[in-house]
Amino acid sequence: MLRLAAVSYRYPGYATPVLHDVTLELAPGHIVGVVGANESGKSTLCLVASGLAPGSIGGELTSGTVDIDGSPTTGRPLHELATHVGIGFQNPATQLSGVSGSVFEEVALGPMDLGLPARETVARTKAALATLGIEELAERAPRRLSGGQGQLVVLASLLAMRSPYLVLDEPTAQLDPEGTRLVGEALRRLAGTGTGLLITEHKTDLLADICDRLVVIDGGRLVAEGPAEEILSEPALEGHGVEPPTAVRLERALVERGLDPELIRG
Amino acid sequence: MLGGYVGPIAISVAMLLAARAAGVTRALLRASLLLSLPIAVSVVLVSVFTRPGSTVLFTIGPFDATVEGVDFAAQTLVRLLAISLSIGLFIITTEARAFVFDLERRGVPARFTFVALATIEAVPTLVDRAATIAESQRARGLDTEGSLRARVRGLLPLVGPAVITSLTDVEERSLALESRAFSRPGRRHLLWSMPDSGRQRLVRVLLVLALVAAIVVRIAGLPLPVVG
Amino acid sequence: MTRLSLERVGFVYPDGTRALEAVDLDVETGASVAIIGQNGSGKSTLVRHLDGLLRPTEGRVLHDGADTTRLRTAAMASVVGIAFQDPGRQIFSRRIRDEVAFGPRILGRSPQRVAASVAAALELVGLTDVADQNPYDSGYSRRKLLALASVYAMETPVVVLDEPTTGQDARGVARVAALVATSIAAGRTVIAISHDMRFVAETFARVVVMHRGRIVLDGSPADVFAEDAWPTLASTFIEAPLPARLGARLGLGSTPTERAFVDAVAARHGP
Repeated sequence: MLRLAAVSYRYPGYATPVLHDVTLELAPGHIVGVVGANESGKSTLCLVASGLAPGSIGGELTSGTVDIDGSPTTGRPLHELATHVGIGFQNPATQLSGVSGSVFEEVALGPMDLGLPARETVARTKAALATLGIEELAERAPRRLSGGQGQLVVLASLLAMRSPYLVLDEPTAQLDPEGTRLVGEALRRLAGTGTGLLITEHKTDLLADICDRLVVIDGGRLVAEGPAEEILSEPALEGHGVEPPTAVRLERALVERGLDPELIRG
Repeated sequence: MLGGYVGPIAISVAMLLAARAAGVTRALLRASLLLSLPIAVSVVLVSVFTRPGSTVLFTIGPFDATVEGVDFAAQTLVRLLAISLSIGLFIITTEARAFVFDLERRGVPARFTFVALATIEAVPTLVDRAATIAESQRARGLDTEGSLRARVRGLLPLVGPAVITSLTDVEERSLALESRAFSRPGRRHLLWSMPDSGRQRLVRVLLVLALVAAIVVRIAGLPLPVVG
Repeated sequence: MTRLSLERVGFVYPDGTRALEAVDLDVETGASVAIIGQNGSGKSTLVRHLDGLLRPTEGRVLHDGADTTRLRTAAMASVVGIAFQDPGRQIFSRRIRDEVAFGPRILGRSPQRVAASVAAALELVGLTDVADQNPYDSGYSRRKLLALASVYAMETPVVVLDEPTTGQDARGVARVAALVATSIAAGRTVIAISHDMRFVAETFARVVVMHRGRIVLDGSPADVFAEDAWPTLASTFIEAPLPARLGARLGLGSTPTERAFVDAVAARHGP
C-alpha cells in the first residue's frame, strides 16, 4: 500500500504549504485517478507520493507521513525509493536521459542503473517495449521521436524498473487519441499484473475507463474521494474546475431538456 | 635542421595512412585543418618575424623575416599537424559512447560517464532546440536574415528561450533520472563494451613502449632524428 | 484579409522523408478550420507552409492568389501568426506583459496599438492579473495561454494554433475556445491543429483530416464525423466523438456535438 496520511507539504523557499492534510491510499493492482484544475496541487501530489518531494527537491512535509508498504519514504536513499515507486511527467523531452543512442538503450538504462545482470536487463527491456507495443522503435534515436512516441518510451523505461507503484502526471497530455488509447490499455494491463497506479489527468473519459477510484483536488486539498463512477457523476465536479466525462455531460443535457438519459445507453 | 621535421612528418604520414585504411581521410583532413588553422596562422606570423636569427629573407616594415624564423615556424607547423591529425583520428574513429562505457567497465563511476555523454549529446540537442526556437520567433516576425543590427537585436529572443528552458529542464530531468536509480552507488553491468582484440592490445602495448623509448632517448640526449 | 491556398503542395524533408503529398487546400477569409490526424500525418508540416517556414518541394502556396515563394517568413508573419505547441520555444521576457507585446512591436505597431492589443489579449486568456509576473512563476498551462495571447495580440488576419488545448484544464479549454470565437468574430481566419475531437467539433466550421501527408476528408464536423466517413476515419486511427457515435447508433443522423445530439433527440422524442 502506498499511503499518504494527512500530508501537508511546502516547497523550499516558500512558507505556505501547497498541499493540506492530504490522505490517500493506493493499493497494488489498483488505479487511482487524480483530477483538479491546473495549479491545484496535482503535480505536487505526484512528487510527494513518489518521495521525490522532499527527497530530491527539498521543501518539507509540514505534517503527515508518506508510507510505502509500511515504511516511510522520508530519509530513504532515492535510488532505493526508485525500486518501489516510479514517477513519470508529461513532457517526454525532459525525461529521456539524453545519453542513449537508441530507444533500447534508453529503456535499459534503469535496469542497468539498478546493477542488474545484463541478461535480466535485456529481458526487462524487451518486455517493457512489448507491453507498450513499441518494439519497432527499439533502434530509433530518442531525440528524433515525436512527442507521443517519446512518452511511450518514457513509460517503457519506468516499466523496466518493475516498481510496484507508479505515479504518472498527465501521461497522455501530448498524445494523439490513438496514443492515449494505447497508454490507457497498457496501464490497465499493468494494474492487472499488480502494479498500483496513481494518475493525474484532465481526460476524464480516459479516467472513467481505467480508474477504480478517483480523488478531486482543489486548492491543495482533497475535496472528494470515492469510486470513479461516483465521483465523475458528482454535480460539484465542474465547480472544482474539472470537466465531467462526455457520457455524464450528455446524460445531464438530456435530463435538462426533459428527455430520457437512458437513451445514451442505446 | 632537417632532424626537427622527420619525427612529426613520419607521425603525420602514419596517421594519414591509418585514416586511409579506416576510410576517413577526408573527414580527418577537414577536421584537423579546421582546428589547427587559427593556431597555425598565429604561429607563423609570430615565429617568422620574431625568432632571433641572422639571415634575413625579406622585411615588412620594422619586422625582419629570418631563415631561422621560417625554419622554426615550419617545424612548429609540422608538429601541430602531427598532433591535430592524431587527436583528430582518435576522435573520428572512436565512438564516444563505446569509449565512455569502456571507461566505466574499467572502474570509472557511472556518474562520470553520464556527464561525459550528456555533454557530448548536449550540443546536438542545443542545436535542435535553437532551430525550433528560431522557427517560433521567425513566425512572430523576427527577422533572422536581415541587417547585422537586426540580427543583434534578435539575439535575446533566440538565446533567451534556449537558456531558460535548459535551466528549467534541469530539475525535471534530474527527477526523472532519480526515478531510474541514477544515484545508486556501485558498478553496473553494461550491455555494451568497446570491441577489443589481441592485436589491438598488442598495438597499444607497442605504442606505450614507443612513447617510453622516445622520452628516454630525449632525456638521455641521444642525437636520434625522431626527437628533433 | 487573406485567402490562403495550397495547390498540389508536396514536401520532402532533406533526409528523404515525404511529409506532404499533393495537398490541395483553400481557406477563405474568416474561415475556422481544424486539422486533425495522427502524429506524423503531416499536420505540422502543412501549417509551416502557410507562413513560409517551409517551402514546398512541389506545388505552390498562395496568399490572395499571389505565389509566396518570393516572400520572406518575417514578412509573412504580419499575415499569418502561428502559436506552436511548446511555449518554452518562444518565451524569453521577464514579464508576461512584455512577452505578449513582442510580436506586435516587431510588426511595427504604434505604442498605443501595442498596449491596446496586449491588454485585449491578456484579458481574453485570463492573464491580466498576472501580467507583471515572470512567465515561469506560472505553470505550463498558463504559459501556453501566454503563447496564444502573444499570437492574438499580433492581430494577424490569419491565426494558426498548434495543439492549443493540450495540458489545459476545463477553464483553460474554455478560454481557448473563446479566443477562437473572438478571432472569428473579428473577421480573422483561424486554423488549429488539435487532438481534442470535442473541441474540434464544437469550435470549428470545417475539419480537415490528414493521413500520411494527404488530406483524406474535408468538410463540416457533421460531414467528417458522419457514419459513412467512419471507415476513412478509422484508417487514420481517429474515432468520431461520442455524440456522433450515439447519434448514428440511434439513427438520428450526424450529430457531431453534444448540442446537436440533444437537439436531435428532442426533435425525435420531445414534447
